[in-house]
Amino acid sequence: MSKARKPKNARSKRVLLAREPKEVEDPRTAIFVRGTHTGETVAAVMKELMALKRPHAVSFSKKNAVRPFEDASSLEFWANKNDASLFIVGQSTKKRPNGMTFVRMFDNRVLDMLEVGVENFVSMNAFKTPKSTPGHKPLMHFASELFDTHPRFQQVKSLLLDLFNGEVIDAIHLAGLEHVISVTLSPTPASMSATTPQATATLGGPAAPDAASSDAALPMVHVRAYTIRLLSSGTRIPRVELAPMGPSLDLRVRRHADADAEVLKQALRRPKVKKQDIESGLGKRKKNLEVDDMGDLRGRIHVAKQDLGKLQTRKMKGLKPGRDVDAMDVDGTDHEGEGDEDAGDRRKRRRT
Amino acid sequence: MDVSEILAEHAAKQQAVVVEKEIPLEVDAGFLTVTDPNPIDEESYKADLEDYLMSTARDGVQTLIATLFSLPITSSQDGPLAQLPPPTTQLPRAKPLPKPKPLTKWEQFAKAKGISHRKKEKKTWDEEKQEWVDRWGWKGANKKEEVQWLTPIPANADVDFDPAKKVRDERKARVEKNQKQQEKNVARAQQSGSTSAPAPPTAQRKREIDRTVATTRMSTASMGRFDRKLDGEKKLKGIKRKFDPTEVSSQAEQSQNMAILSKLGREPETKKSRTSSEVLNVRKAVRFASKGKGSAALARDANSKKGKKVKR
Repeated sequence: MSKARKPKNARSKRVLLAREPKEVEDPRTAIFVRGTHTGETVAAVMKELMALKRPHAVSFSKKNAVRPFEDASSLEFWANKNDASLFIVGQSTKKRPNGMTFVRMFDNRVLDMLEVGVENFVSMNAFKTPKSTPGHKPLMHFASELFDTHPRFQQVKSLLLDLFNGEVIDAIHLAGLEHVISVTLSPTPASMSATTPQATATLGGPAAPDAASSDAALPMVHVRAYTIRLLSSGTRIPRVELAPMGPSLDLRVRRHADADAEVLKQALRRPKVKKQDIESGLGKRKKNLEVDDMGDLRGRIHVAKQDLGKLQTRKMKGLKPGRDVDAMDVDGTDHEGEGDEDAGDRRKRRRT
Repeated sequence: MDVSEILAEHAAKQQAVVVEKEIPLEVDAGFLTVTDPNPIDEESYKADLEDYLMSTARDGVQTLIATLFSLPITSSQDGPLAQLPPPTTQLPRAKPLPKPKPLTKWEQFAKAKGISHRKKEKKTWDEEKQEWVDRWGWKGANKKEEVQWLTPIPANADVDFDPAKKVRDERKARVEKNQKQQEKNVARAQQSGSTSAPAPPTAQRKREIDRTVATTRMSTASMGRFDRKLDGEKKLKGIKRKFDPTEVSSQAEQSQNMAILSKLGREPETKKSRTSSEVLNVRKAVRFASKGKGSAALARDANSKKGKKVKR
C-alpha cells in the first residue's frame, strides 16, 4: 500500500524514505492509548512510563474503544499512520481492573501481546529524590531464573527491553548513565519450580481457556526505577549506589498472545554481517583468518603431514632401486637361489 | 618491606566493586542489560521488599558497570565513549529486513561489462566566464550552444534553419529519452518486487491484444464488411493455407504414409473404448452397489454395520 503511494512533494518523500525498513533500526516509537475507561491508576502509570520513554513516545489521550485481544485492526492502522511499533493500551474493567496491554508490532501487524494488571503503583513524585535526565538511556536489570526459562517471563523481559532499551548502539558516554530500570519477580512458587511450566504447551490463543488458572500462580513482577551514583572506589571501576527514583510498579501477568512462529522467524532475521566486521571478529568468522596485534590480517594454510620416506635426495647410482636386491644378497644367505633368479630376471628385462 | 598491608588495602577496595553470586550474572553490554539468574531469596524478600529489590538491583548494576567501564574507550568531541559490543539478546525487528534495490538496466549492463561508476562533478570550469558553472540546470553548461550569439551554420542549410532550435530540440529529446528509461526501470523494479504473478512478456501480450482486436472486428452483424475503417487500420489477415512441398525425401513420405495406415488399423477412440480396457468399470459397480447413492453413502453404511457388530 505505502509503496504504491507516490509522494507529492519533497517533504513527504523524505518522510516516507525515513519510514522504509532499515538494516539498523531506529528505537521503537511507543503509543500510549487510553481505552474506554482507564482509571486513575493506569492513567498515572502510563504517564510516568511515557516520561521514561520520551522522546519516542506518543500519547493518545482521548478514549478509544479498542480491545487488542479481540480486534487489533485499529492498532494496525495507528501503527501505519504514526510509524509506531509498540502500543501500551490502558483499560480498566470490572473483570480486569487496572489492565495494561503491551502490543508489539512487526511490519505494521501485531506480533505479540501481553496484558498485565497494575496491583501497586507509587508515583515518581512520591520520591523526593533527583530524577534522571529525559532522553538518557537507562540500564536494565532483570532478576529471576524465570526470565531464562518461563516463556511468559521471557516475553515480559523482551517487551520491557524493547520498550526502554531496544536500540542497537555502538558506543555510549559512560557519564550519561543515570538511571536503572530493575525488574524483579517475586519468589518462584513451588509448583512452578518443581515441574516445567504448562504454559509452554498453550501456544498462540489470544485468551487460552486455562490461562486464567495458570496465570494466577505466576509470580508478581516488580518494576523499579533507581538513579545511579558512581562513587570512587580507588580502582578503575567505581562503586555503585542506588537511590529510588520512581515510578515503582507491581504487575500481575494476565492474558497473552504469542507470536506466530513463522512471523517471529521473519522478525528475528539478522542482516548479513559485513566483511570488515567479520575480520574484526564479529559473527561467524573464517577459521583460518586472524588479525594480529599490529592489525594485520594473517592467514593460516593447511599443510598435510609430510612423508619423509618419499623425499627425493641426491640421485646416486648406488641408491637405485635395482641395486637394492644385490645388497640383500650379501646378507640374505638362506634364499640365495630365489634372490639370484629375481636379480637375473630384472637385469634381463632391463637389457631388453 | 611488608606489602601485606598494601595487599589487604587493595583487596578491600576490590571487595567494594566485586559482586559474588552463586550463579554468575549474565551481562548483555550491547543492550546495557544484566540478568540475574539466581532464584529470589524468599526470606529477605518477605522481610523487607523494597530493601531486597534495591540490593539485588545494586549487585546487578555493579556487575554491569564493571563490564561497561572495562570496555575499550574512544575519545570524541562530547567526551570519552565506551565502545559497546553487539547485543547478544535477540529482539524482534519492527520492520522486515530491507530488500536489495533492483539494478537499473544500465547498472546491470555495467555490472556485466565490469564498468565501474565514475562520479561526475556537478560543476565545470567555464573558460570564457572564468568561473565554475553548473553542468545542467539554470544557466547550465549544456545550454551553451543555445544561447551563444553567433553559431556557424552549414552552407547547404535551409533559409529558416535555426541552429539554436536544433540544439534545443536535441537536448529536449535526450531528456525525454532519459525520463522514459527511468520510468521503465521503475516499472521493472515494481514487477520484480511485487509478489503477484509477473506480467506476461511483451510479445505474448501483443499477440493476445491482436487476437482480441481481430475477434471484435469480425463480430459485427456484417462480420466487419460495412464497418467504418479507422485511420491506419490494417486489413485483417486470415489464416493462410499451407501445403507440404510436393517433393520430399522417400523416408519422410514413408513415415507419413505409415502414420495414416496405423491410424486406419486402430479402433475408433471413444470414451467407452478407453474404459473397456479395464475388466471392471468401477464407477458403474459403485453406482450399482450403493443403489445410485454414491461411494460416500456406501462407506457410511459399511461403517455403521461394523459398529453394530461390535456392540453386540
